[in-house]
Amino acid sequence: CAFIELSLSPPPGSETPYQGRGAQGEGAAHGLFGAMGGISMVARRHMALYGTKQEHLGAVAVAFRKNAIINPIAQMRKPMTMEDYMNSRWIIEPFHINDCALVSDGGRALIVTSAERARALRQPPVYIMGMGQGHNVSDPLRKEDFLDTGAGRSAETAFKMAGVTPKDIQVAHLYDAATYNVITQLEEYGFCKRGEGGPFVEGGRIERGGKLPLNPSGGQLSEVYIQGWTGPPEIVRQLRGDCGERQNKGVELGLVSNQGGSMNFHSTLILRR
Amino acid sequence: MATETEYNKPLPDINELTKPYWDAAKRHELVIQRCSDCGHYRNPPSPNCPRCLSPNAHWPKLSGRGKVFSWVVFHRVYAPGFANEVPYNVAVVELDEGPKVISNIIDCKLEDIKVGMPVEVTFEDVTDEVSLTRFRPV
Repeated sequence: CAFIELSLSPPPGSETPYQGRGAQGEGAAHGLFGAMGGISMVARRHMALYGTKQEHLGAVAVAFRKNAIINPIAQMRKPMTMEDYMNSRWIIEPFHINDCALVSDGGRALIVTSAERARALRQPPVYIMGMGQGHNVSDPLRKEDFLDTGAGRSAETAFKMAGVTPKDIQVAHLYDAATYNVITQLEEYGFCKRGEGGPFVEGGRIERGGKLPLNPSGGQLSEVYIQGWTGPPEIVRQLRGDCGERQNKGVELGLVSNQGGSMNFHSTLILRR
Repeated sequence: MATETEYNKPLPDINELTKPYWDAAKRHELVIQRCSDCGHYRNPPSPNCPRCLSPNAHWPKLSGRGKVFSWVVFHRVYAPGFANEVPYNVAVVELDEGPKVISNIIDCKLEDIKVGMPVEVTFEDVTDEVSLTRFRPV
């Protein structure tokens, strides 16, 4: 997974003030910085077009925090209510601090092998049923559809390969660099229609035990941010029934998404117990 | 007027491709690269047209009018030059002619900025070499 990192100090030996990212550094000249700068700009547009509310972003943050609280290795274990979320400090409006993924150091490992070998090993095998990629690397200013990220094309490939539809998915990790990423992926993947991602995350639908439990480990927002590695181990373990208190009971078909850049690069895995 | 030694915000990357834009900005004119074959505007600029791939382009002067397409407010300081500016807005403005630009909205309270708000361009001479667009409500 590609990611965008933003140094907070000037490059060594630099004669000129720090040049941020953006089209020819023009964004930096106007004060636009970082992946969160880009994502929050898209989120605002979505809110204006579809009436998506701050509380919808908050519902994602609150749901994932609830999962992290009972995850022994999660970074964020403190309960967070919607009120806590709404009162938390702004980073880049409309993003509060709790709309943004963590900063973490960590390591993970996944062993991928043949189904035959997997069957002989200690843990129940989890099978890769579908994979996809989709990328929209157009400069945001040039995009035909400002909200399109490439996620839809990634999902379509994976679903077709796996021979399943969004309705069949029982548990998922949707790459949560920010709360908004989850809302737009729900729409682009076909879990709901474009513009309906806000209402979709209301009422506990994406919480543990809900109709479509998401980011059961607490995600990148509350468990850990190690780019594309936050999701896959948790979904594998959910499908194995190995998650103890965090377990979503009886789940057999799961999905993991991964992203890079400022929602530019996108991949999807569909996994089956 | 700020001199180069006083102005400590990032400056844009002025190169062969972007020079026509920044030369015009210094004259307080808003120009955007336009395909000479199919008429498509493109920002950021590029050697070829993304629609028809033609290498022929010119830089017509635009009306300077547009609408707020989206906007955000920075509260966190990402570069030292902006330490005294937070909270400040950054906006994407969709110009009447079609292309979009990144800029800042001025002469408007943060809470009054709205997607769809009509705006018009003005220019700020931030250094002796560089002038940046700002947009104010119409």
